[in-house]
Amino acid sequence: MKALAALTIVARAVTVLLLSTFMITVLVRLLPGDPVDTLMPFATDEGRNQLREELGLNLNVVEYYFRWLGEFVRGDFGQWYASTGDGGGVPISQMLALALPRSLLLMLYTMVFSLAFALPLGIFLGYRADSRVDRVISNATFALSSIPSFALGLSLVFVFGLKLNLLPVLGYVSFAESPSEHFKSMILPVVSLSIGLIAGFSRLLRVDTIATLREDFVTMASSKGLSDAWILWRHVLRPSSTTLMTSAALQMGGLIGGAVVIEIIFALNGFGMLLNTAIATRQYLAIQSLVALIAVAFIVFNLIVNVLYAIVDPRVRTASV
Amino acid sequence: MRSSTRECAPRVSEKRRAPLGVYLATAWLGLCLAAALFGDFLPLPAWNDYDYDFQSSPAFTEGHLLGTDPDGADILSGLVHGARVSLGISFTAVLAGGVIGGLLGVLAAYRRGWVDGVITTYFNVSLSIPTIVLTLVMVAVLATPAVDGSSSGIPRELVLIISLTLVIVPVLGLLARGSALSWAGRDFVMVAESIGMKKRAILWTHIVPNVLPTMMSIGFLAAGIVIVIEGGLAILGAGATPGASWGSMLAKNQSNFTIGPYPTLVPAAVIALTVMALNYFADYFRTKIDDRESRL
Repeated sequence: MKALAALTIVARAVTVLLLSTFMITVLVRLLPGDPVDTLMPFATDEGRNQLREELGLNLNVVEYYFRWLGEFVRGDFGQWYASTGDGGGVPISQMLALALPRSLLLMLYTMVFSLAFALPLGIFLGYRADSRVDRVISNATFALSSIPSFALGLSLVFVFGLKLNLLPVLGYVSFAESPSEHFKSMILPVVSLSIGLIAGFSRLLRVDTIATLREDFVTMASSKGLSDAWILWRHVLRPSSTTLMTSAALQMGGLIGGAVVIEIIFALNGFGMLLNTAIATRQYLAIQSLVALIAVAFIVFNLIVNVLYAIVDPRVRTASV
Repeated sequence: MRSSTRECAPRVSEKRRAPLGVYLATAWLGLCLAAALFGDFLPLPAWNDYDYDFQSSPAFTEGHLLGTDPDGADILSGLVHGARVSLGISFTAVLAGGVIGGLLGVLAAYRRGWVDGVITTYFNVSLSIPTIVLTLVMVAVLATPAVDGSSSGIPRELVLIISLTLVIVPVLGLLARGSALSWAGRDFVMVAESIGMKKRAILWTHIVPNVLPTMMSIGFLAAGIVIVIEGGLAILGAGATPGASWGSMLAKNQSNFTIGPYPTLVPAAVIALTVMALNYFADYFRTKIDDRESRL
């Protein structure tokens, strides 16, 4: 019974994946204009036909999709064509090798930073529900979470970059180059993305904490004379964090590519920026492969959540799915 | 543990919180709506009228109350005109997306079976791609002129409305489906079924009227989200005509941010305030609905 349920979940995920990549294929084929004109404006007719064949533009959408899919699952993401005229391209995987780590690190730091603040905050607000502290902080986080990340990012650049001159405002420094400069270049983008997440996460955790605190096992633990802090961290946090985890996993999927605006504002040249350039310059294969990677990430994170549910909350583990 | 014995603590706090925030939110949204509707009657220069004698002038310059941007465009006039474009795009997209998504979602919950499967799969497929990325591709498909200069001929703002509607449909649709399903399991629906009421009649008299308030509350949230996406698109170079909406005002002046951040920060603040007001509205609406539902 359990294996069947797991199989259904995986089958559903694969279906959604196939359909979403196909949808992108259709959208890419609908892009106006001849991509050959953009990719090789000065090529001979022979060269143009060759490129057309290479891109699969002579095929219909379905054939085209399966040819792309076959290459994609083998790890061949296609070429990024240079518009220099000779039709030479750079493998997209090579460009990814540069861009993807930046976006993944941005995502990772954002998640660690957000959770590091949201976990204690959410638990504390749930514990002190309806106190003056709770009202003030809840209101403040609610207001903060309404500020779009780009507006926050620009304001942070204004204060810390331009007025105080404390932090760099543009560009990315890799960890290998200089660890301290690396973290300095990431602080502002990470904070811009995190404020909204901290507010959202702590809100979710606060509500679930309030619910868990009414459970019998909490009364039991406190009647045993355990301290409040011990009960909160050891007994309340885990069962209260399932909603939070779902939300966090979905946000992680969304941050790859979804952080494109922040990547542009801070000139991080990450994954989102690569995708934006691909769309603007009609890189057919790049658009398809990059969006497909985002969808894969999103769906994989979703699957992980379903598994983690069972591990984190003993009540789900024993319940029949 | 003392807090474990408290009764329904959070509801009280949310009730108490509502008024001030809601009054401020109403005032701000009213101001924005008034600007959008009656902005033409204000004695302001046109939003795209470049006054070359007053470039990058500070606020309270004579004739330019909020100053001008580096092109000499009046910032106040840009904000007033931007209210019309930004709110127009956002409200239209959310209304259209809410109607389409709402109907699809309720239909899925009502018919179940393969209809539900198809509709839910469509929603999940759309949601597996981040909204900003999907909108970006949509805008590219619908709008960007080809290399030979031929464009699709659809006005820029309409392209944004169509793309954003398509993106917001699955978000609101999934919510409508969930809400409809939860109402379908309530006692009064079972009573209606047991006295032989037709399924279609139950749908329109019992389920849709109860799903609507939830949809409206989420609609305010969605309107805020759409304004943010529109701003993001503008920063990515795929937004409204430069300077026409709040987002495209911000994007247009962003290249001069390090020299003069003021013309960028003002539209950013206006976007933030509007989204905040819409969120307060949504939140207030939700607590109202919760109160009503707990009495049902």
